[in-house]
Amino acid sequence: MINVKVKCFSQVKYALGVDVLTFELDENTTSIDLEKIIRKKAGKKLNNVPLRIAINQKYQKEETILQDADEVVFIPPVQGG
Amino acid sequence: MIITPEVLNKQKNNFTIIDIRSEKERQKFPLLGLDTILFSDDESINVTKKKVLVCQYGIVTEGMIIEKKINNAFSLLGGAQAWVEYYNDNEDLSRWARQTVLPEIGIKGQKKLLNSQVSIIGMGGLGCPVAQSLVMAGIGKLKLIDDDFVSISNLHRQPLYSFDDVNKKKILAAKSKLKVLNPEVIIETVDIFFDNKNGEELLLKTDVIIDATDNIKSRQRIDQISKKLNIPTVYGALFRFEGQVAILNVNGSAGYKDLFPNLNTSVEDSCEDAGVLGMLPAIIGNIQALEAIKLIVGINKNLIGKLLMYDGMNHTMEVIEL
Repeated sequence: MINVKVKCFSQVKYALGVDVLTFELDENTTSIDLEKIIRKKAGKKLNNVPLRIAINQKYQKEETILQDADEVVFIPPVQGG
Repeated sequence: MIITPEVLNKQKNNFTIIDIRSEKERQKFPLLGLDTILFSDDESINVTKKKVLVCQYGIVTEGMIIEKKINNAFSLLGGAQAWVEYYNDNEDLSRWARQTVLPEIGIKGQKKLLNSQVSIIGMGGLGCPVAQSLVMAGIGKLKLIDDDFVSISNLHRQPLYSFDDVNKKKILAAKSKLKVLNPEVIIETVDIFFDNKNGEELLLKTDVIIDATDNIKSRQRIDQISKKLNIPTVYGALFRFEGQVAILNVNGSAGYKDLFPNLNTSVEDSCEDAGVLGMLPAIIGNIQALEAIKLIVGINKNLIGKLLMYDGMNHTMEVIEL
């Protein structure tokens, strides 16, 4: 098992109602798997929100296998100005 | 009291000019064209004639005059550094003394700012603080692009507008306020909605583009043109108590499309999501202005290829490498 921390910003934070979440996950869990978990946890609140992912402050263009102690940030587009 | 190099030059015969600097400092910025006496002790500043005290950057003397209650004394604004610039190039940059004293800016950086042109697309919550800070910092030319009118609901977060401006064109109201802040700034106003047809021509001579828009479609348009023209965009966006800033499209660095590929422009904010406290655009807009200045001056520590995410509720930041 691995432990992963998710720092929540913008729509993700408001959908989940928390700033930080920690997960105990199976090894070989990927970033996309974690996104599915997050979306499920948010109910329908993130249905229309596309999310990009950063792991340990690095933007991920592709699906990535998570490692123990990774810090994940989901990046939604925000448009206010 | 302070005196600028330009005024001192015109009235120098009316003053005793006292140089309080060390020999090393005097060698760096010699006061050519001025008859000076060197500060030896407190007695030397008690001459009855009006006097100008000179230090290296005009900060020590300003405090010294107040602290020692020296009568009939002026501090040379910008100090010897500003005098040397004025004497050599006939250019008085003393009003920016508190930023030219920073080694990262200096006279060289200030000149780059004065010779630069920045285009701001969107004169709302982000555009107002960006424009205000850039004008105050001495940007030479600003192009303001917006076709909107000032609304009463703008006033809590858009500090360039007041009640008198409601129903006026934002770009015109902004221009008149900005000219008060710095009468020398050149401001071009463009009363159109930014789109693909007009965008490229509008941004051709721009050094830096500020994306201060409020919708994904405009952000995508700006990104396309920024990438094509290889002109950097300082992107800023808001969500409730949060904001994002990045410098995009610098010599092939990541753009908005790389950050958010295949983005559907129909993503809509709810009424709650559109809510914002006025401080948030001020914070994010000022970070955008800071990054624009670093880009123009050439300061390497910046947000090129990085996304800053700021949370104003917890005061936490993430800087993500793109």
